[in-house]
Amino acid sequence: METAIEIKNLVTHYGDVKVLKDVSFSIPKGKTTVILGGSGSGKSTLLKHLIGLLKPTTGQILMNGGDIAVMNEQEFNEVRKRIGVLFQGAALLNSLTVADNVALPMREHTQLEESTMQVMIRMKLDLVGLSGFENYYPSQLSGGMKKRAGIARAMALDPAFLFFDEPSAGLDPITAAGLDELILKLRQAFKMTFIVVTHEMPSVFKIADYVVMLDRGDAVFAGTLDELRASDNERIRMFLERRSEKEVYSPEDYFRIIAGD
Amino acid sequence: MKIDIVDYKGHLIITPSGDIDMYSSPELRSELMRLITKKTKALYVDFRNVSYIDSSGIATFVEGLKKMKLYGGRLKLIGLPEGIMEIFRFSKLDNIFEIYGNIDDAVGS
Ligand SMILES: Nc1ncnc2c1ncn2[C@@H]1O[C@H](COP(=O)(O)OP(=O)(O)O)[C@@H](O)[C@H]1O
Ligand SMILES: [Mg+2]
Repeated sequence: METAIEIKNLVTHYGDVKVLKDVSFSIPKGKTTVILGGSGSGKSTLLKHLIGLLKPTTGQILMNGGDIAVMNEQEFNEVRKRIGVLFQGAALLNSLTVADNVALPMREHTQLEESTMQVMIRMKLDLVGLSGFENYYPSQLSGGMKKRAGIARAMALDPAFLFFDEPSAGLDPITAAGLDELILKLRQAFKMTFIVVTHEMPSVFKIADYVVMLDRGDAVFAGTLDELRASDNERIRMFLERRSEKEVYSPEDYFRIIAGD
Repeated sequence: MKIDIVDYKGHLIITPSGDIDMYSSPELRSELMRLITKKTKALYVDFRNVSYIDSSGIATFVEGLKKMKLYGGRLKLIGLPEGIMEIFRFSKLDNIFEIYGNIDDAVGS
């Protein structure tokens, strides 16, 4: 497996609190790596380091032959163009149409003609199943559609890396499953490297080629899905079992449990 | 990217070399549009030296084809390396563009 990003001995603090404690692992190229972990385990913090939004206290993030932890603004700008990000909450600009949201990175980073951009925008929206929604405003879209529009925007510059932070957060299970399908489809069609942060186990089993598990700031596991399933590490088993226990409850079962029937 | 335009037995062949990406597409577009504005009947694009094409490159050819169709012109793509062909296929455009193995096949049809 060819490595796309190598994280070496990453340590980071918020004030005096150490949130990533000597994290090391590699992200394979052209695959989907899922960063898994409970709430507060440091997933978003790690992702923000990978896209250069935060600098670590110590450690390296090797990408494209350079260490993005120590790159200057200009060097990092070049890397930045190759990275697409879907943040938690999609973060579309509400005052712009869907088309203009997708065009934003193109207008910022390229000299493309308006007419070329319009063709590209239609191609991107078609990819995410939003053909015909060019002139809608974000407020007119459902939660799932907003995420899709956010993905189209993240793909505006044909990135080599696509990052997602909790893409299915706040979505109903059917919409979330649809988003997983889309991630799978894009991953099969393009030679991109996907990095998806999530705590949803069904999503992990559907989309992951490779899994990194964080627990309270430690990377306790990095390996394939089969290796994850086979792991007898106590902390991993606890996480997997806690999750799968929860999911077997139907709403009726849940009601009976809490109602004490 | 570098662009060569040659006249082959009265047929205009555009040969881009290197990457057709967000940064080089505008130059390719202006060459293409210059010839299209003159209502050139048939344009041939030779891809043999193209190492990569991104969505801006694909979009540029979509624009070109759309404009040529308006006056009955034909845009023919030739010599696509497998990796480039794959990108056209993924874009669902391999059946929209006229794609030929080489210039002689393209001229004859
Ligand atoms: N900006 C911040 N300032 C201080 N502490 C933070 C900040 N962001 C996150 N934290 C803390 O760092 C830890 C990891 O947070 P985060 O990376 O958001 O976890 P996750 O995404 O896995 O839920 C948590 O304890 C959180 O409270
Ligand atoms: Mg988070």
